[in-house]
Amino acid sequence: MSVFTLPQEAKEAALLPQLAAMTERHRRDCEPYARILSATGSAPPYGSVADLPWLPVRLFKTHELRSVPEEQVFRVLTSSGTTGQRPSRVYLDREAAATQTRMLAATMRGVLGERRLPMLVADTRAVVRDPTLSARGAGVLGMMNFGRDHTFALDEEGRPDQEAVAGFLAEHGREPFLVFGFTFMVWLYLRELEADLSNGILIHSGGWKKLAEQAVDNAAFRRHFAERTGLTAVHNFYGMVEQIGTVYLEGADGSGLYCPDFADVVIRDPDTWQEAPVGAPGLIEVVSTLPTSYPGHVLLTEDLGVVHGVDDGVWPGKRFSVLGRLPRAEARGCGDTFGAAA
Amino acid sequence: MIDVLFPVPGKSDVETLVAELTATPAGGPLAVGDARMRAFLTAFGARLLSPAIARRHPELGSLGFFLRRVELARALDLLEGEHLRVPRGLVFHVPPANVDTVFVYSWALSALMGNRNVVRLSPRSGAVARTIVETLAKALRDADPAVAQTQRIVSYDRSEEATAAFSAACDLRVIWGGDAAVTAIRRHPLAPHARDLTFPDRSSFAVIRSAAWLGGTDPVLAAAADGFANDSYWFDQAACSSPRTVFWVGSAADTGKAHADFTLRLAAAISSRGWSVDAAMAVEKRVAAYGMAADGAGESITFHGNALTDVRLSAPSAMPRRWLGTGTFAHTRLADLSELVPLVERKDQTMTHFGFAKDELEALARALAGRGVDRMVPFGSALTFHRVWDGVDLPSEFTRMVTVSAQAPGSAARRE
Repeated sequence: MSVFTLPQEAKEAALLPQLAAMTERHRRDCEPYARILSATGSAPPYGSVADLPWLPVRLFKTHELRSVPEEQVFRVLTSSGTTGQRPSRVYLDREAAATQTRMLAATMRGVLGERRLPMLVADTRAVVRDPTLSARGAGVLGMMNFGRDHTFALDEEGRPDQEAVAGFLAEHGREPFLVFGFTFMVWLYLRELEADLSNGILIHSGGWKKLAEQAVDNAAFRRHFAERTGLTAVHNFYGMVEQIGTVYLEGADGSGLYCPDFADVVIRDPDTWQEAPVGAPGLIEVVSTLPTSYPGHVLLTEDLGVVHGVDDGVWPGKRFSVLGRLPRAEARGCGDTFGAAA
Repeated sequence: MIDVLFPVPGKSDVETLVAELTATPAGGPLAVGDARMRAFLTAFGARLLSPAIARRHPELGSLGFFLRRVELARALDLLEGEHLRVPRGLVFHVPPANVDTVFVYSWALSALMGNRNVVRLSPRSGAVARTIVETLAKALRDADPAVAQTQRIVSYDRSEEATAAFSAACDLRVIWGGDAAVTAIRRHPLAPHARDLTFPDRSSFAVIRSAAWLGGTDPVLAAAADGFANDSYWFDQAACSSPRTVFWVGSAADTGKAHADFTLRLAAAISSRGWSVDAAMAVEKRVAAYGMAADGAGESITFHGNALTDVRLSAPSAMPRRWLGTGTFAHTRLADLSELVPLVERKDQTMTHFGFAKDELEALARALAGRGVDRMVPFGSALTFHRVWDGVDLPSEFTRMVTVSAQAPGSAARRE
């Protein structure tokens, strides 16, 4: 069952009542969230998904926001958090944790199929062994659920392990296999591979910042792998710990990121805060029905994005790109005001 | 090795630099109000007032104004007294990275008092700091060699050794910046006789008498709103002296009406200045305002575009002291000015006011009895530097007093 089925109108009709109900449930069960809604004068009825009140995603760094009692918290997820910043804390109860795992699997099945595939990881096994699991490690560990016969392209010291890669391809290269890694790791360690990867399905994420410094964009990335290795089934994805389980997956043709049926995006004009028209860049608001144990169902990210089209791609719904990250606001002033503000 | 930016760009080490500063200038050691230094400071100030610079960096215009001949003379006149004033010696200035001009005020007053100075500029200093250093170099061409010999501006990135060496060598260390920066620099010991002058994080607020606002004439209110906008938006509301909370003093009915009118006029002042905030700042403000609501400190939040955000506090005691992004104002109401007293803390620096008479303000200052608030100034004056800053008389701090008593020989003998 694919989770990329609903045209935009049907999706809105399906999501709006669920999200509106979630807003009221979180209002009832999360006191700080209720105070925010009260202070900003948010009240139903909400006429569209774009009318729902959103929270700035950074509030999960500054505040403890959960809609379940402490004793029902099953897992607390934390983001990597850039230096000097507190990490996000996301509280999952048993049900939310199970749902996010299930829905992530359903999303990945859309491109990987029903069976677990042999998996090549553009990373080192050490990254998942680190007792203080990094976001990168958690990402690799999470994706490993979708593969088998995991092979790491880097050895324990982080050096390219050509022997391991060659062995993997000799054994699995003639049938579909999964390649996973963070975008910059994939570029760094797999781009010079002289091998036939035409049966591979590459899933990658983590942003383009490090590659943009080398003037490599998504199109150049895809072109390089297609020409050099025959790898064309390339799926970038976009997601964040604050909406764990929801990933926006790139169509195999590179036409943009698509929203699974239980999620959507709204691009907001940062001047008017209204929804920006198709083609106009703005801040990405991510919407998902998965966050039931914390008020993360409608979040304004600090990422810039643009919707390229609606119901006009390989999957229905909005087709969008992430354009980059909003810089952190800086102020002149006396003292280390930034430290005080963080 | 550290970078020397003034008087001659180049590299040096701390020992050489301190030795150069310690040598006696050809024309004799600098005195308090030394004519050689006054001439240089006046020439430097005049250059800052040139249209080309003042247009590009208006804050340098204010600095130029501060360095006029009559202002310098006034700072010196006020030191007259029964004791003789002499320079402190070597003064080590550590200004913050993010305010480019503050080091000049502190350095200039210290230089005027005849001190030898080392200013450590952060490598992160911006265009304004570069303009200042360039302008100083130009003014130096006509200056007495004693100026170049006794003044240094240096730059280095977190060199513990350099900071330690300057700290050990100086007679007075002046630290501007955040609490964390002050604490970090204070780890380096001073000579036993030396002392610190610290200007740590401060926070400021405004007070408006609601009835006075309602009774104000159009031009007075427009000017007040414009002054308030100046106080707040010039340094992105992050200056220590920029107001963050607005206390309204009066009845609920008056305050409601006055606040509404204030908001309209402030919004007009902001837009007529062409001030706006970018998307990053708009998000920063949302995070801060929503955070206050989540904490229960903010009862209601109103956005007037991205540039102006009002947060109505749930109680006056919820007043925020941290930066909330450019153009975020917490509003609350007091029945009487005296209700401020228990709210004020040592961290509170400037109280900008509208609608209060001098005797009321003095009564408040006495009632505060040193709890906090070092300045009470009208709207529009929050950012105006004064030689008395943070409750400290800078010219006085930059000098030592020598007691000279020409007693009769007999009275001296009696002591023995």
